[in-house]
Amino acid sequence: MINILIIEDDANIAKMIKAALAMVDYNSFCCNDGRSGAAEALKGGYDIVLLDIMLPEMDGWQVMEKIKDSGIPVIFLTALQDVADKVKGLRLGAEDYIVKPFEPLELLARIDVVLRREHKTSSLLSYCDIEIDIDKHTITSHGEPVYLTPKEFDVIVYFVQHLDIAVSRESLLSNIWGFEFGGESRTVDIHVQQVRRKLGLKDKLITIPKLGYRLESCDSQ
Amino acid sequence: MKLWQKIFLSSLLLIIAVVNIVSIMLLGNSHRLLIEREQSHAVNEHEYFTTAFINTVTYEKLAKNSLTLKVSEIGKAAESTVNSVSRTVNSAIYYSTYASAALKMPNTLNKKIHEELLDNIDLSCNEYTILTLESENKHFMTVGSAEQLDGELYYIVTATDITEIFSLRKRQSDFVREISIISSAVISLILLVITITLLKPLNRLNIYTKAIAGGQYNIRILKKGSREFCELADNMNIMADAVQSHALHLEKIAESRQTFIANLAHEMKTPLTSILGFGDLLRIKKKVTDSERIEYAAVIVEETKRLRSLSEKLMELVVLGGTEIEKKPVDLPKLIGDAETALTPLLTKRNISLITDTEDITIEADEELFKSLLYNIIENAVKASPDNSEIILKAKRNKDKAVISVADRGIGMTKEETERVFEPFYMADKSRSRKAGGAGLGLALCAEIAKLHNSVLKIDSSLGKGTTVYIEMREVKSK
Repeated sequence: MINILIIEDDANIAKMIKAALAMVDYNSFCCNDGRSGAAEALKGGYDIVLLDIMLPEMDGWQVMEKIKDSGIPVIFLTALQDVADKVKGLRLGAEDYIVKPFEPLELLARIDVVLRREHKTSSLLSYCDIEIDIDKHTITSHGEPVYLTPKEFDVIVYFVQHLDIAVSRESLLSNIWGFEFGGESRTVDIHVQQVRRKLGLKDKLITIPKLGYRLESCDSQ
Repeated sequence: MKLWQKIFLSSLLLIIAVVNIVSIMLLGNSHRLLIEREQSHAVNEHEYFTTAFINTVTYEKLAKNSLTLKVSEIGKAAESTVNSVSRTVNSAIYYSTYASAALKMPNTLNKKIHEELLDNIDLSCNEYTILTLESENKHFMTVGSAEQLDGELYYIVTATDITEIFSLRKRQSDFVREISIISSAVISLILLVITITLLKPLNRLNIYTKAIAGGQYNIRILKKGSREFCELADNMNIMADAVQSHALHLEKIAESRQTFIANLAHEMKTPLTSILGFGDLLRIKKKVTDSERIEYAAVIVEETKRLRSLSEKLMELVVLGGTEIEKKPVDLPKLIGDAETALTPLLTKRNISLITDTEDITIEADEELFKSLLYNIIENAVKASPDNSEIILKAKRNKDKAVISVADRGIGMTKEETERVFEPFYMADKSRSRKAGGAGLGLALCAEIAKLHNSVLKIDSSLGKGTTVYIEMREVKSK
């Protein structure tokens, strides 16, 4: 189980982050000022700290200074958009820097990246009778290996990691192809169709009109 | 041409001219004095010679014992006189026909005497004619006179060699020329050094001015050199002070604007984050329970309201910043009564009583704006007060001023918070203020309104005891 500490003074934002994390079954705990947040982080037991910068009592920079020796990866969440602030945050040892306002899926994706880097997530995923090994880049269905292109592989991994969440074409594009990819959402459609065909997910990987796709969980029939 | 070059060249030219003119005049004067001395000397010689000649003639007459002498005899006397008298002096005696009776004179001089002197001799025998003649590179001072002897006219001429005087003048003028060339060189060198040294501070001033113009406003010019430069440096320092304070002022304005925008962005992004987050969650989640939907939507509505109030307050601030207000005499008790009525719902909801104590004062104000100012301040007091407490509003006369005070017994603020309370977006207690729907712009607005009324808000607060806000307005004497 992944435990995440949210240090955020705005109650509504904290609530929103908590709800987003709960969606992918991450545990979370909220602190609404810097001092108690730093103390909580130092207690240990957290895989990631989401840290706001403008905080009462003790600002995010100070909290970062305090907890950076403990080795907990930190992602800054802030309204400050200055490049200098970004650089300052990363230089202090933060893993990432997310500018408010952000979409929940973006936050989840960034958390995933950090968790993978920290090897906190298992490289083995399973969905129904499909087994995926991310490190070895292999996928089997009913014990039989299925051959997917690298992008198709990324697509199925992303869907399995975001089970029961409607994923827009845009977030697929930005998370799998990268923001700099100038492709159209048509590319996404073709890959999703291939994945659907090769893995026999016709009923599970459903299209949601005007939004994107969703991989339904196995037992929800 | 540069200033130092101008000063240097003009003073050099002036000095050289003065030196030369003075030396030429001195030389001319001494030459003239020498000539005058020579003249009197020559006249003496001439008189001596004339006397000798006449004496010889007289002697001849006595020897011959006759009253008159023949022309030839006088010629002989002339010849003997010429030969006997003049050793250094050249002399000659001519007949009226200009033929020479006796001559001891270089030929060329004789010729010149014929050409220039003889015609000018005064025949009345009263005066000497003096003339300086030049012959064969020699100068002679010739003195001529006429003498009537036995019915015959004789011209007597003596000539003194004064070449020495002229060659002396030439030598002196040569010497003066050399001296003036050498002294010019020396003077020009000294002048150059003096000019450059004197004008050196100018150079320094120039460098400093350039630095200041280049944006180094903190530089001050050292006072060195002559008084004019010190004065100039002083004035330039004053100018630099003005420029610096002005630049600082502009910087401050830019900075406060920057802070304002940064704060505004922050204040907008915070509600936007919740709205975007919950909106997206509602969209992407497969199953949203009823309680979740209500919770999410409630946050979205709440945060949207916050954004709305923020934009309204912002608009008010912007509009206030650019308006000329229309001041009219306003009856203060009536205004306070209006504000009280408007606030009644808020007050009853929290069970807070507003106790008013107002004197009958008329002030000059924009009624609507001033009402809004009062409203905002009382609203702040309500927000800070606990339920079932009271707020005291007083309007008192203090000399020619009307002092309105609003006091609550609420949570109060620390000194640091009190100082920052007028900054846009500043909230002493962020979470509480946000819950009450504040954007942190209320007091900034109040301060702006007070400023438009040429007044200043003062806040007196202590943590845990309460806050009092004072507004001072000029009273208008009612007719």
